[in-house]
Amino acid sequence: MSTQNEFREEPGCEVEQNDPARIEAQIAAGQRAAVAPNSSTYGSDDAALKIGVYICRCGGNISDVVDVEQVAETVKLIPGVATAKVHTFVCSDPGQHTISDDILKENLDRVVVASCSPFLHEQTFRGAVARGGLNPYLYEHVNIREQASWAHKHDPAGATSKAIRMIAAAIGKLRHAVPLEQIKLPNHRRALVIGGGIAGLKAASDLAARGIQVLLVEKAGELGGHLNERGRVYPSEQDAAKLVAELAQRVNRDARIEVRLSSQIKAVSGFIGNFKVQVESEGALPSEVTAGAIIVATGFRCYQPQENEFLYRTDPCVLTLPEFIQLMRSTPDSARHLTVNGRAVNNIAFLHCVGSRQLDGVHEPQADGRLNTYCSRTCCTTILQQALAVRRRFNKTGVYSFYQDIRTYGRGEENYYIEASKAGVVFFRYNGEEPPKAEATPREHARRGALSITVKDTLTWNEELTVPVDLLVLGTGMIPGDIADLIEQMKLATGEDGFLQEVHPKLRPVEVAVNGVLLAGTAQGPMNIQETLSAAGAAAAKAAAMFAKEEVELNPFVAEVDQDACCGEAQCVTQCVYEGALRLVTREVNGELVERAEVNAGLCVGCGACVAVCPQRAIQLNGWRLDQFDAMVDGIAEGVPGQNCAQELVQIG
Amino acid sequence: MNTKISSDFKPDAVVVGGGIAGLQSALDMADQDLKVLVVERNASIGGHMIALSKVFPTLDCASCITTPKMSAAAHHQNIQILTNTEVQAIESRDGVHRVKLLQKATYVNFDKCIGCRLCEYACDTEFRDRFEEGLGAVRAIAVPFTNAIPQKAVLDAEHCLTCGTCARVCPTDAIEFDQKPRRLTIETQAVIVASGFELNSVTLKPQYNAARSQNVIAPMTLERLLAPHGPYGRVLRPSDGKIPGSVAFVQCAGSRDESIGVSYCSRVCCMYAIKQAMLLSGALPLADITIYYMDIRAFGKGYEQFFQNAKAMGINFVRGKVARIDPLQGGDLRLHVETTEDAENPMQERVHDLVVLAQGMIPGWNPAQISPVACATDGFVATPSLTAPTATTAPGIFTAGTAAGPKDIVDTIAEAGAAAMQACQYLYQKREAALVG
Repeated sequence: MSTQNEFREEPGCEVEQNDPARIEAQIAAGQRAAVAPNSSTYGSDDAALKIGVYICRCGGNISDVVDVEQVAETVKLIPGVATAKVHTFVCSDPGQHTISDDILKENLDRVVVASCSPFLHEQTFRGAVARGGLNPYLYEHVNIREQASWAHKHDPAGATSKAIRMIAAAIGKLRHAVPLEQIKLPNHRRALVIGGGIAGLKAASDLAARGIQVLLVEKAGELGGHLNERGRVYPSEQDAAKLVAELAQRVNRDARIEVRLSSQIKAVSGFIGNFKVQVESEGALPSEVTAGAIIVATGFRCYQPQENEFLYRTDPCVLTLPEFIQLMRSTPDSARHLTVNGRAVNNIAFLHCVGSRQLDGVHEPQADGRLNTYCSRTCCTTILQQALAVRRRFNKTGVYSFYQDIRTYGRGEENYYIEASKAGVVFFRYNGEEPPKAEATPREHARRGALSITVKDTLTWNEELTVPVDLLVLGTGMIPGDIADLIEQMKLATGEDGFLQEVHPKLRPVEVAVNGVLLAGTAQGPMNIQETLSAAGAAAAKAAAMFAKEEVELNPFVAEVDQDACCGEAQCVTQCVYEGALRLVTREVNGELVERAEVNAGLCVGCGACVAVCPQRAIQLNGWRLDQFDAMVDGIAEGVPGQNCAQELVQIG
Repeated sequence: MNTKISSDFKPDAVVVGGGIAGLQSALDMADQDLKVLVVERNASIGGHMIALSKVFPTLDCASCITTPKMSAAAHHQNIQILTNTEVQAIESRDGVHRVKLLQKATYVNFDKCIGCRLCEYACDTEFRDRFEEGLGAVRAIAVPFTNAIPQKAVLDAEHCLTCGTCARVCPTDAIEFDQKPRRLTIETQAVIVASGFELNSVTLKPQYNAARSQNVIAPMTLERLLAPHGPYGRVLRPSDGKIPGSVAFVQCAGSRDESIGVSYCSRVCCMYAIKQAMLLSGALPLADITIYYMDIRAFGKGYEQFFQNAKAMGINFVRGKVARIDPLQGGDLRLHVETTEDAENPMQERVHDLVVLAQGMIPGWNPAQISPVACATDGFVATPSLTAPTATTAPGIFTAGTAAGPKDIVDTIAEAGAAAMQACQYLYQKREAALVG
């Protein structure tokens, strides 16, 4: 498409350019300021810089609070700023075009975008800068949304002033910026998949079918995970065993996949393209494997009710949903009813949301103090599938469902609700604040049922009803897998729900903060089978894309040692918390063997701890050099030359 | 991005639909070094998502998420995009899919158009802007919307008076009144059907009287009202521009209802209603907001917590089915509600200023008659495979997103990645077999 997109006079895009007089005036203003520097920040050496500043309205997210026009007008006064423009969405294609066009037309040599979090769009704008032919690291991202407009919603003047100072700081930083190159590392074209449930099997078989070597590590002695314990899967009603068998067969037959059963991850080191992983298999010594990417498909655990929660483990007539599925599977086809604790089951209660959708003050926290506030997503449909199966197999058995909301959201799932209703399943609806109560029936009434469930039923306008049943099935959901070791080894993040946390649910849904590590399936949160398979496919796609390149490319923000200044004191090595990122090496200097610090760019995360402790100031962080910090502080303190900054500071404070 | 593609162009894969599902699939394939053609029937890529205000559960602005993906696809060296183009048929034989395309006339030469919009500013003919759900006006020749890709003017032949003003002001002589639609056939090895959804009509249930009141609106209309760059830049009710003081959301107005032929759940309505209610209470702090629902289906990651937050914010959740909506003099609406909340008074009449009907998702395109892809009884693309949920009934044709049933954005994006992976391995295995065989 055309690259001749320009800023235009219309409500969406803003202003200026194309007006030579105005550009002249701006340049003149810049030069005037540049020849009259008022501080060290604006040294005359920098007068030649041509900086473009782009301020985003974020469709109102920023401009509803921050006076973006004022910001643009003010930052133009900063020496070196060649242009300052406002756009409704700088991240949009026209917005990005403006940046790359300006670089070409106006010979910009530095670019600042003041918009949202760098987490969202730093990469986007580096791309636009690169397309304009400028080194992408001569770019600064200023977050005036989270840090100005959102943080100071009720103080527009203060937010505007803060935005100006933040941009001034970025400009100061850019003055001392040097072009940087991405770090390129070798890419070991092999993926490690942790977990042999359906997510791991799917990810492994997808990658192998794409020609990529895979090592699949499963802690149990067989593949398939939880699905080995399920009967039929909804909505296809096919045998879960068939699904597992199909996937496992594909994995076992593919020569590109090595499967290690009864195996665990003992240690993980290295980085994207080159992870070193210690795998320990039962009865064997740990061995080290190398993998370019790691897919975490460790799955979930079933919620285990607490001692005496709805009489669980106190009364034999209370089962969890997985236990009930086992009961259904083990009951012979010839049986005329289910049998629990030696008694025929005439009436069954299914209680939804046990261990899910927990509320503060209503439910007991888990052992770790956490409430499971989330919905487990799969239990409603599973319960209705089972309820319907009971009604169809044992038509004399009464089935009662105690629910808050029926969440049969997926394709084909609503039919279970419709069919269960038609098949005579009776529904009671409770409020989350007042869950039903289960009691053992006194012996003299036990003929009617071993248990009685009492519910305030909102479908009958909060009438309190007591239902005698022979079996109570607790609709238990999913809780995070027991992977504390792996979380520690791989520095993974978990969300408030305890499941592994992705970077962003829409922008980077299967990636985590550690490059090269991907999430597949229920390790990330409750999902049904189709969703799990899709998530695994998405993770495989990301891994495959990574392997499509010969080398892994990383941002260059790592520590760099000035070999002349380093005196080998090794304080940096002591402080470094990333194993292997910094070490002492012996070098020959002027005929003498001396020790000097050396950085492993793949392992260094650019935290800066080494920079802080070096007595010689011999370590610097690329992209974040110490003089850049000084310039940023000056930029914040001084704001814009000629502006009354002291007053602004008071406002911000 | 290229708008001039010849029949000789042989992409590895064709993606039908340039919404979020199609774009994500295209990106995930292109990143694996496959050449991809994205075909979009509208004038811009971005689908429904680009028209949304904010998205649940993070409340990110939708543009913030969509525009970078649109832009990434448009700039990707392995991706070509054809807008204003419809797929008329897919003929599959011996593993080759011949995708028959109709590139509609835009009456603007895209090679010449620089997106300066001078034609748009000069045009005198205005009509209701479909992008703004009819609330704003658009000129007969216009760039589709602010962050559209491509930024090219398109002439609406239905409304154009052929006065010639646009041609006179165009600095690059890009206007071509005699442009003809163009047919072309693209041969490819794999297809991803990401043709998305439509919403069924608000007038589907006559008892809700949407045809008689402008203040009974569709959820997409509210999205535009809530969007900071929307038609009014604020929330006003359509009939008289009043700031609504009381807003009702009627859930399941187009789904879970066999009487209108949509028995399934549309999966996103609960969450977008809650999101819109939250945004409304931010935009109109004094407004009273009520959601009438059957079941709140807040099933996804972080969704239940989002629902609980909405309750804590004071949004009223009333469990009950709205039986009828009567327009009143002056524009207000009387809802007849059967609730389960009040035993004394289960049949209630409640008056609101503005009512939002949760329409149902229906398929956006029917490939069944014109391609080997079969649809299921719900009308969406059938996905019979147990282990490959994105595979259709036709070998080499895959599907992603709402083409295969209602889905939220998070699930759509995951599925788009899966479809891309499925297509890539299909192509890889074909090539491997060819090498061996």
